[in-house]
Amino acid sequence: MNASDITSTDGAGNGRNVAGTAGAGVFAEYDLDSRFFDELFEPDGTARSATRRLAGALTRIPPEELARVQDSVHRLFLHEGITFTVLGKREVSEQIIPIDCVPRILTAAEWQHIEDGIKQRMRAVNLFLRDIYNEGNSLRDGVVPPDLVLGCPEYRVEMRGVRAPHDVYVAVGGTDVVRTNDGFAVLEDNMRVPSGVSYMLACREATKRALPALYREHRVREVSAYPERLYSTLVSLSSRAGTPRVAVLTPGRYNSAYYEHAFLAGQMGADLVEGRDLVVHNANLYARMSSGLRRIDVVYRRIDDDFTDPVTFRGDSMLGAAGLFHAYRAGNVVLANAPGTGVADDKAIYAFVPDIIRYFLAEEPILANVETHLCRGPEGLAHTLDNLQDVVVKEVGGSGGYGMLVGPQSTAREREEYAERVRADPANFIAQPVLDLSRAGCFVAGSLQPRHVDVRPFTLHGRDGQHVVPGGLCRVALAKGNLVVNSSQGGGCKDLWVLRG
Amino acid sequence: MLAREAADFYWMGRYVERTEHTARLLRHQLTGLVDTPADELALGWRVLYRTLGQSAPATPADADEAEAFLIADAYTLAGTLVEDRMVPDSMISCWRAARANASQLRPQLPLRVWTCLNRGYLWIRDCDFPGAWKVSPAELVSEGIDRLRLLAGVVGAVMPRDDAWRFLELGRFVERFQHQTALLDTWDRIGCAPGQRPALSWADLLRVCGAYELYCRRHAMTVRRDEVLDLMIRNPEVPRSLRFALHRIESMLMGIDPLGNRHPLAPPHRMALRLAAVLEADSGDSDNAAPAPAGESGLFERLTGNGQALHDRVIAAYVDYPIAEGLPT
Repeated sequence: MNASDITSTDGAGNGRNVAGTAGAGVFAEYDLDSRFFDELFEPDGTARSATRRLAGALTRIPPEELARVQDSVHRLFLHEGITFTVLGKREVSEQIIPIDCVPRILTAAEWQHIEDGIKQRMRAVNLFLRDIYNEGNSLRDGVVPPDLVLGCPEYRVEMRGVRAPHDVYVAVGGTDVVRTNDGFAVLEDNMRVPSGVSYMLACREATKRALPALYREHRVREVSAYPERLYSTLVSLSSRAGTPRVAVLTPGRYNSAYYEHAFLAGQMGADLVEGRDLVVHNANLYARMSSGLRRIDVVYRRIDDDFTDPVTFRGDSMLGAAGLFHAYRAGNVVLANAPGTGVADDKAIYAFVPDIIRYFLAEEPILANVETHLCRGPEGLAHTLDNLQDVVVKEVGGSGGYGMLVGPQSTAREREEYAERVRADPANFIAQPVLDLSRAGCFVAGSLQPRHVDVRPFTLHGRDGQHVVPGGLCRVALAKGNLVVNSSQGGGCKDLWVLRG
Repeated sequence: MLAREAADFYWMGRYVERTEHTARLLRHQLTGLVDTPADELALGWRVLYRTLGQSAPATPADADEAEAFLIADAYTLAGTLVEDRMVPDSMISCWRAARANASQLRPQLPLRVWTCLNRGYLWIRDCDFPGAWKVSPAELVSEGIDRLRLLAGVVGAVMPRDDAWRFLELGRFVERFQHQTALLDTWDRIGCAPGQRPALSWADLLRVCGAYELYCRRHAMTVRRDEVLDLMIRNPEVPRSLRFALHRIESMLMGIDPLGNRHPLAPPHRMALRLAAVLEADSGDSDNAAPAPAGESGLFERLTGNGQALHDRVIAAYVDYPIAEGLPT
């Protein structure tokens, strides 16, 4: 593609058609808006240097051919059952995550910046978690208000005095990174049980099949080694001689991420266990096999702390194994991630991560945080309530896009009701400005249109250090103008191509 | 493998087999819709429903079971067994159940097997039964059978011969043993009771079981009850004979627990041997004497009871065993 393929843009922020020449039909609906960073095009409408080849190819592909490609990736997901589960009020439905066939591209330099920032964050968070469950220096020194940490619902008193194997509390992390005109920023940390990595791998598989020549031309960094990396990370945390036995602990097939649990277990050659498969005997963990009980050394748990062990945590949990935490404390089994890591992805604690980085690493944060107002303080509460129509308000322990208010897209009545909730329990809420998420080209209704995206890269932290997969789950808000990218809120995904240097 | 996964493979095998069994019976019945007298059709539905353990359709209070099937229309009777999600043994319910088992086995299940099963389920879920009924109802179930056979082929081609495959096969053949027992018993007692008019033909039973051609080669085109029963009970070469199913069960059990690790001789093995003995004991001298009338001798009754006991023992030995018994020494 060259400049003549894109007619004009509007720097004032009003959308304007960028296609129009013969042969550029798929871009007919593509409007640039200077408020949003566009992943495909420069503000003047020319393709970015890294996306020039992709944009050119998209221009040459007839729309009906692109529709066929889109259909083929959709079919792959459908037939292979790459799904997520949505819990409705009355029934559980299994849905295919919508996938867009057009990849998003990041240059090697852009990726390096993200990778460095995420690794820095992960190191700091692990040191922070060790500290709050042991020495408590950061609390005494006022880096984070002690009441915020100790009062956090995800703080586990049972973990006090417990050192995780090799001080790795968060072995698998996911960090939601967004891009605005100001650059990259971290929107959220996912330090409990981050999900989405299987969709990242499935997207890659689908686009490799659908666009093989384009993929080859772009010299994209591979992500397929993730399961192997995950396995070696988990195994590295075990002190068991020989080959430790790994199990993936899932709540079961009605969990929204069940496909992923099964996928990862299969790829790692691990047992996919449910609580009912596990038995703790003499502080050792066993899985119930068809030929008898077999010891398990590492549990990659995909259930929340509360449900891990009915003896230690929630007594009514049917999902965990009685005595599992006891086996963990005895050092006979590794839990990844460790119980209590949810403190680090609490949305109120998130606001302090830059200070945590400075305190533990004596470094400046590489990736910025999004401006965050804590409603627990009078100023933050007042700011939130005064600007409800302009901000996004979230519950501090929320996830999946549930329970949040997007001010500009809300009605007066919704804002009123939400304000009541905030006033009733201010400490449970934070407010952030509505971010102008960058937009990437998506194939929608027969043409290419820009849609808002973010990316969740995944980090593995083992005995020997960290590894960030060169890619991530690129989430996309498929409805026009929508800013919420969560799959549970109608979002889809697309492949992210990180180019070699 | 995990005990729960063993159970899932076992049940997946059972549900897939059950779907095919229902489809085969239905195909025969639906093919006959065009030229079979109404009373014979009604008897066919009655045998079919009895075999599958389904209750007769709702009828006026003074109507008996036979009349119930005369009154009911074929569309409803077939639809119940094909697309009614509320009927646990309908084709769609069994397919869905097999898929639910398979979905819990994704780490163990080759992708091709999952894809084949999943596509089959999506097909039956989305198929237009009323539309298919207007064109050719038998074609619909025939396509279902083809898809199930494709699945069986994919399983055979890509699954390693490990415990996963053995439990899957074990489930298939336990299911087959139980269903074939029920089919032979019902056909003998209700479909072809002595002196009954109308009656179902023994040749049709052979066709349902895919054994008609073999029978004709072995015997003659004149089909005799005793020879049919002997073939379908004791012939080890007929895939739908009880003996064939039992051989497969024994073979799978030997593979799962070759040395009887936890038991001198695992209870499922003992039960399989007992079943073989029941078949032998009732066989008589096949060269010189016809077998005793099976229904009258209570053979089917014993086989039904022992088939259920075999299933219970499989579950007790490999899935629901006491914890203390499973601890490593």
